[in-house]
Amino acid sequence: MRTASVTGEIAANYANYANVGVIGVICGYFSPPELAWAVYLRLVLFNDKQYSSNLPQAKREGTLTKRTVVASIVCGLALAGMVVTLSSAQETASFARDIQPILENSCWKCHGEAMQLSKLDLRTLEGALKGGEKGAAIVPGKSDESRLYRRVAGLEKPAMPMGETLSSEQISAIKAWIDQGAHWDNAAVAKAQPLDRAALAALENMEISPEARNYWAFKLPVQASVPAVSANLKNPIDLFLEKSRQERGLKAAPRADRQTLLRRAYLDLTGLPPTPAETAEFVSDNTPGSWERLIDKLLASPHYGERWGRHWLDVARYADSDGFEHDYDRANAWMYRDYVVRSFNQDKPYNVFIKEQIAGDELETKSIDTMIATGFLRAGPRVNFREKDTPERRFDYLDDVLATIGRGVLGLTVQCARCHNHKFDPIPQKDYYALQAAIFGYVETAYPMAPKAEADAYAKKVAELDAQIKPLKDQVAKIEEPYREKLKAEALKKFPENVQRAVAKPESERTPGEALLATQILEGGLNVNARTLEGALTNEHKAQRKALNDRIAALQKEKPKPIPVVDIVTDGDWRFAPLGDGDEVIGCVKCRIRETEGTYLHTGPGRYEVPASYFLVRGDPNSKGSLMKPGFVTVATYGNPPTEIPPADGNTSGRRRALAEWLASRENPLTPRVIVNRIWHHHFGRGIVPTLDNFGKMGDPPTHPELLDWLAVEFMNRGWSIKQMHKLIMTSDAYQMASAYVDSGNLEKDPQNQYLWRYRTQRLDAEIVRDGILVASGGINLAVGGAPVRPPLPETLVKSTIYNVWKNQEDGPGVWRRSLYVYRKRGMAFPMFEVFDMPDPNFSAGRRSISTVPTQALTLINNEFVLKQAQMFADRVKKEAGDDPVRQINLAYRIALTRSPDATELAVATDLVGSHSLVDLTNVLLNLSEFLYMR
Amino acid sequence: MKNFWSRRDFLFQSGGGMSGLALAYLLHKDGLLAAENNATCNSTPLSGNPYAPKTPHFKARAKAVISLFMTGGPSHVDTFDPKPALARYAGQPLTGKGDINVRQGWPGPLMPSPFQFRKYGQSGIEVSEIFPNLAQHVDEMAILRSVYARSNDHVQSTYELQSGQIRAGYPSMGSWITYGLGSESSGLPAFVVIPDARGGPIGGVSSWNAGFMPAAYQGTAFRSSGGDPIMDLKPPAGMTSEQQRARLDVLAKLNERDLQKYPGDSELAARISSYELAFRMQGCAPQAVDISTESEATRKLYGMDEKITEPFGRQCLLARRLVENGVRFVQVFSGGLGDQNTETWDAHVDVKTNHTLHAAETDRPIAGLLTDLKARGLLDSTLIVWHGEFGRMPISQRGIGRDHNPGAMPIWMAGAGIKGGQVIGASDEFGLKAEQQVMSVHDLHATMLHLLGLDHTKLTYRFNGRDMRLTDVYGDLIPQIAG
Repeated sequence: MRTASVTGEIAANYANYANVGVIGVICGYFSPPELAWAVYLRLVLFNDKQYSSNLPQAKREGTLTKRTVVASIVCGLALAGMVVTLSSAQETASFARDIQPILENSCWKCHGEAMQLSKLDLRTLEGALKGGEKGAAIVPGKSDESRLYRRVAGLEKPAMPMGETLSSEQISAIKAWIDQGAHWDNAAVAKAQPLDRAALAALENMEISPEARNYWAFKLPVQASVPAVSANLKNPIDLFLEKSRQERGLKAAPRADRQTLLRRAYLDLTGLPPTPAETAEFVSDNTPGSWERLIDKLLASPHYGERWGRHWLDVARYADSDGFEHDYDRANAWMYRDYVVRSFNQDKPYNVFIKEQIAGDELETKSIDTMIATGFLRAGPRVNFREKDTPERRFDYLDDVLATIGRGVLGLTVQCARCHNHKFDPIPQKDYYALQAAIFGYVETAYPMAPKAEADAYAKKVAELDAQIKPLKDQVAKIEEPYREKLKAEALKKFPENVQRAVAKPESERTPGEALLATQILEGGLNVNARTLEGALTNEHKAQRKALNDRIAALQKEKPKPIPVVDIVTDGDWRFAPLGDGDEVIGCVKCRIRETEGTYLHTGPGRYEVPASYFLVRGDPNSKGSLMKPGFVTVATYGNPPTEIPPADGNTSGRRRALAEWLASRENPLTPRVIVNRIWHHHFGRGIVPTLDNFGKMGDPPTHPELLDWLAVEFMNRGWSIKQMHKLIMTSDAYQMASAYVDSGNLEKDPQNQYLWRYRTQRLDAEIVRDGILVASGGINLAVGGAPVRPPLPETLVKSTIYNVWKNQEDGPGVWRRSLYVYRKRGMAFPMFEVFDMPDPNFSAGRRSISTVPTQALTLINNEFVLKQAQMFADRVKKEAGDDPVRQINLAYRIALTRSPDATELAVATDLVGSHSLVDLTNVLLNLSEFLYMR
Repeated sequence: MKNFWSRRDFLFQSGGGMSGLALAYLLHKDGLLAAENNATCNSTPLSGNPYAPKTPHFKARAKAVISLFMTGGPSHVDTFDPKPALARYAGQPLTGKGDINVRQGWPGPLMPSPFQFRKYGQSGIEVSEIFPNLAQHVDEMAILRSVYARSNDHVQSTYELQSGQIRAGYPSMGSWITYGLGSESSGLPAFVVIPDARGGPIGGVSSWNAGFMPAAYQGTAFRSSGGDPIMDLKPPAGMTSEQQRARLDVLAKLNERDLQKYPGDSELAARISSYELAFRMQGCAPQAVDISTESEATRKLYGMDEKITEPFGRQCLLARRLVENGVRFVQVFSGGLGDQNTETWDAHVDVKTNHTLHAAETDRPIAGLLTDLKARGLLDSTLIVWHGEFGRMPISQRGIGRDHNPGAMPIWMAGAGIKGGQVIGASDEFGLKAEQQVMSVHDLHATMLHLLGLDHTKLTYRFNGRDMRLTDVYGDLIPQIAG
């Protein structure tokens, strides 16, 4: 059959690379060794320029011997006649068919995944080209110069593979393949590498080297003594910073003025600029301690948690919808968002905060709040319940969880070790699967927000009513049945004759193909829609059905109000996931997991057991290695922490609890450093380690390692209190430095201000830009918490969302909530936030990128919402300042920028207001760099 | 390639003292005030901004791409990959090819194409009867028959075709190209998407996002009809251009004054120039989309004289105008959301009805686009790529439909000096899976970048401690196209 197909397409395939390869192998076999036929054919017959550049000079210049030319023509002429034979007899010298098996069986044991002897890695073309200690293994186009060929052919010592000899066919194949250009198919390699027991064992037992721990981030932080570099500085932060400044001859900037500091503190801690009244209050308070009191006041504000919770929500890749095709609404997701805000407002110790999010369902102190906290684990994108249909999805979900914990809590790219040992950091693949085992009980479920007795009573009542409803529904179905059959028969008539015939035949007489056809028609191929059915019923049946449906509706009404639920993660057995959205019609029936015994959630008796999880070769769920036990990132593990802390109720394994305890332990070198660095970043615009989510070797090293460690230990000593860190940092001189400060010496020595000689200005986050506009207009609705809002968007945009469409709410105070509360849809970022660099919620992202693009300008000068707010801003100013333009301008400045205009600004503004109007000025103010930056 | 835009540090370094950007701005200012004149629409962007043109790794064969994305997944065996074996074995079960994984319902027997295939052109390549106009261009097309996708889920495969990854959050092809080459147009975005007027595509707007790259590189959706092409492009009704200019002048004055407090801060300087660029876009973008200046003959060429072809014809004509105006990557979607038969190529229910309709909508417009580009001398410098997110099953679904099949898919490329009239690779005799010269989407991407003068192994963006690539760690050039 294959032959026929090849013949049929010979014309089309004539220039096909694969076929050239075929010719190459056959002809190359007879050709003189100094010139492979394929090379010539590709060059001459197919004018392959890229290929010619790989050939030795002499060949490119065409110094071919007459003999080879004649031979090649003969061989070329044989082409047409050969094709049929080729396809049935000799297969092509394709990489996948001929070369890869040799590599697999004879090379990769020593030059593959488990080890790379002589530093040679033959898993990729790059590796082969780069070669090992002896040089390149392959020179494409030149087998005679390729070590791989020379060693297997015995032309060079030591001959390879060690202790075996390849067959002459294999050797010729390698030669021809190299001469043809050594085409490599990485994707095929990744797919096809079989399980090699020895290599697997080496991977599964991979030990990290003792030196691996000798890297700053893996050592436990220790507080160095605070350097005594200045008598004037008291805050240890300043002393550490001053030491590094002195070492570089940098001079610290003076203190910023009070209005600048006030605005900085407000934007930083609450994300809301101060009102003129708040400004007046602070500026007039000249008593000692006014700055400290201001910080305390802001930390006590409910808006503090909204601002700093948002930073964590970036880490948690939080959104209100699932993502992917259906992008289903997550109606309860906001409860996790509010939990985060609440936790920050309560100054929940960070170690507790982490434990609740990783294992809130397994803590002794568990509560509704800690259950909600587990929403952290499931906040990432999900196709939906389909992990049961296509089990490989589950591994992607678990990867999302591990990647988020890795980057978010540990500052490590542990997900890089899913398919191989981490390339840069000492994270063996086995650590990844130990971590996966630690969370392998992971299932998502809804948890009733009510005492158990109440929840049970509810479930009982619903079951009773359903039992009464069932026979009524059966009666409805019985009435409908004959009509449905009739309508289905009519629908069938619309299909082609072959389909009708297959369905009409008795089952036993159908051919295998007809059986398939009949099944796909009878099982869901003939849909009867409700309206058609309604129209077909007789009046009598209509009335009977209505009476039954009324009774059903009445019973449905008797059902108690559903108990509110929260979306949680707990332990269970994913193979018994209940059907959910997206499960109804999908999937290869055969592939669906059909376990006969078990339940989704553990219901007793006895203790819950985690389903088995395995080391997966190259991350492939179908290439199982050994059974995995739970564990952690070895290089960052001190002592011998437990890997399971089973809870008393026996309903979960306690593995996540153990993971949480390890993460939130003083013995974890990463967790405290990563969080203090995040706090530092948001205060100063740049982390001590600039790569917030990567403390590994590919991240940037700390500019102030001693300060980072000092802060990490201080943080733990102060009970993991984030608010105390804010106060410690904000009362430093460093935090209070001016940003508008120039010193040519400093600029030259440290142009990037890495060593903090002045305060770094920061572009406001997308949400804060919108919040600031709402504050200026006076329209902001400062209600805290609750379900998300959907401000109106243009219809053209709404049209591009699927199923869960964006339901525009009316523009007004109802949606003038803080931006934190704007619905975050994975399939459609809120445009204003997107242009101002809101991160993609599909990844954990601690640091936002900052871009400056014309669409930001277009938004702020043309967007309907912005202009409406600018109008409200102008109206408000008129109302509060009266008719005097100078007073108006003055107030507008104080509202938008926390300061009065200087003489020049007043003149420019007066001109604009005079020649145009106040709203022209208020719109301009909302566009000023000064408005858009924290300084 | 250096990651030059994600950090403000770069901006800082790029300007010593008065930043280059601010200076350039001042120099250009007078010229810019006349922004609504056509002259400035085609000038190249100022250096230092994310769209500034950059030198490719080697000589490019094309400088622009028009990607024609058929949402829903057109069937290869009913379009560009004829399978006589389907007729021979019609009604028999498909066996011996490994597991048959259907996405919906139950697998059916082998189903021949309801369409006839005919040989066209000098090359004699067979094309389905549903593309009578497009088939006339077969000698300009390289048809790929052995590219496979990795997911049978629309969105995941759409992401794969767009970004090389089946997961969300990775930059799309257009973002990579914009990042790698910048823009040739100062008045238009470098990466423009023209969605189907019916809405969509199935992957939503995240199909063209910039993933972990800065938002500057994401695609900008242009509406092909009605209103402004870009959101917030024009001031609302009631605001005059004079009024807006007055606002922008005061804004510039105040921002420049502010900049003096932060000498050397080129992020602030970039902000100032971004307003001028925005103002320029207001003038240029509507011009670019204004097809009223096109001749009747041209409109007809694109099928705008017929109701069925008018919407897609408009999209294709707009694509040509954008490429003419220096836009780097234009992506045109056929297929919206909703009803599988009438709105997308997702032919689960009835492949004949579905493909007849969608081919009829797109056949003349695409043929017209190729003809027009060639006539204007743009075809050689423009790469045209046509594909969906996967192919479809050779077996039936519910009797007369076809289910998703990522095993093989129809793709063709034209322009960019590509040798036309060739077929590359082959799927198996039934079209279930790619069989000869099997190519991944990474290979396709590597080849596309190559045509644009970019080495896919060198076009990297540092994210999360890794030099990310469009092709991840994969990608082999397709020799028949890369040459």
